[in-house]
Amino acid sequence: MITTTGQASTIEPMSLAEIAREHGDENVASRESVFQVRDLAVSYSGNTAIREVGLDVLKNAITAFIGPSGCGKSTLIRCFNRMNDLVPGAKVDGEVLYHGKDLYAADVDPVEVRRRIGMVFQKPNPFPKSIYDNVAFGPRVLAMKDDLSERVEGALQQAALWDEVKDRLKESALGLSGGQQQRLCIARCLAVEPDVILMDEPASALDPISTTRIEDLMHELKRQYTIVIVTHNMQQAARVADMTAFFSVDVAPDGGRRTGILVEYDKTAKIFTTPADKRTEDYVTGRFG
Amino acid sequence: MRISFQQELDELEALLRVEGELVLRSLRGAVEAVCSQDVELADEVIAFDDDIDAQYFEVEQGIELLLARQTPVASDLRLVLALLKDNLHLERMGDLCTTIAKLTKLTKGLPPDETLLAGFKEMGERAEQMIRVAIRSLEQRDRVAAESLLELDELIDRANRRVVNRLLEIGHDLEVREWGLRMILVSRCLERIGDHAVDIGEQTAYLVTGEFREFTDASRQ
Repeated sequence: MITTTGQASTIEPMSLAEIAREHGDENVASRESVFQVRDLAVSYSGNTAIREVGLDVLKNAITAFIGPSGCGKSTLIRCFNRMNDLVPGAKVDGEVLYHGKDLYAADVDPVEVRRRIGMVFQKPNPFPKSIYDNVAFGPRVLAMKDDLSERVEGALQQAALWDEVKDRLKESALGLSGGQQQRLCIARCLAVEPDVILMDEPASALDPISTTRIEDLMHELKRQYTIVIVTHNMQQAARVADMTAFFSVDVAPDGGRRTGILVEYDKTAKIFTTPADKRTEDYVTGRFG
Repeated sequence: MRISFQQELDELEALLRVEGELVLRSLRGAVEAVCSQDVELADEVIAFDDDIDAQYFEVEQGIELLLARQTPVASDLRLVLALLKDNLHLERMGDLCTTIAKLTKLTKGLPPDETLLAGFKEMGERAEQMIRVAIRSLEQRDRVAAESLLELDELIDRANRRVVNRLLEIGHDLEVREWGLRMILVSRCLERIGDHAVDIGEQTAYLVTGEFREFTDASRQ
């Protein structure tokens, strides 16, 4: 949904207590925040991609970012593991707290950040190595001392891939199907014991059955991990997410600058039944996109 | 966007309005039959219920297909759920008209009371008005009009309560008593038609506001 500057309002981040009061769900208020985002803006070479973002990502929940192309969803999710550091000209303003600590503080090690906050991408990207070595790669680099084979098996079990690959761990990962490769990427992430798993359209390149398996896996994984997912598939967000944030594109009056903005962030049930903002309603009903 | 989806929604609403018109015809026929003790007209009302049922099934099938294919959410979902329930309310109204017609046949030849018949005519007109208001408030998404149904319903409810008092006045004769006992059921049917119209109004309010609430609580009955 594209709005012109002047119509878009600054979104005040709802605290968990406010969301809980509004929905009569005091359990929400008792959930810990893993990320607290305050007045976040990201620009690339001086062009603001997203601005004025404020929200809390809840522990052991699946949070979905939805919205039209260009609204800054992927830019935002990359802020959570400092992947934007690797983009030349990228600048992050505002605050991202991870368990209360500033993720962008000078003394924070981005490599350690990316161990704890893993990422799975749209296109499965297994290394050109064996299945075993793909999963073992991270623990080896991080010198994780315990039984490597046990760690690899555990990760593959958690990623619901073990039974399919246990008899061919030495075979190339590139021989797996798309759905299997994506689950291998998830296993690779899990092997280094993350706290959070970020997924940028993890199933958009997969067939429907593989998609369902990934979604079932997400439901299992959220018991132990916090998951943030970017998805173009609204029905997927409705199926898997506990909380959903809808982003839109704000266009300058002269029709030039386009900036992503957070329109509404709430429990998924609310977003898909009685959204507060008309722009959200128009997007989820497919009237505008 | 979603042009064909919107067309399907519009078609479902149109089918429901047609069902409403069929119910209005049935109601007029049923009230006329009981007030003039017209057994032939009563038979027509009974047969006509098949048309209402056919319309009901068409609406219900349309909703089923739309849910399966289009995955409506937010206000679209509320509309589909409202249509689903309104469809049932209209079908039940049709059944109540059939019951009135059957009671008319059962009381053929028994002496009617003109005061009660005048009361039924008035209740019938009120119920007809309520059905029109209910259908129109849905079409226009008019919450205020929907809520006005509660007041209209109170008039029918009062008339229903007066029926028993009237029967106590006139029920000395055995045949009059027999006629009167059947007419209590006719009055109850008209009162229930009014309740169903209020229920349709509640669905309209839910559609507009996103929150369902009864217009009145049971303790007021």
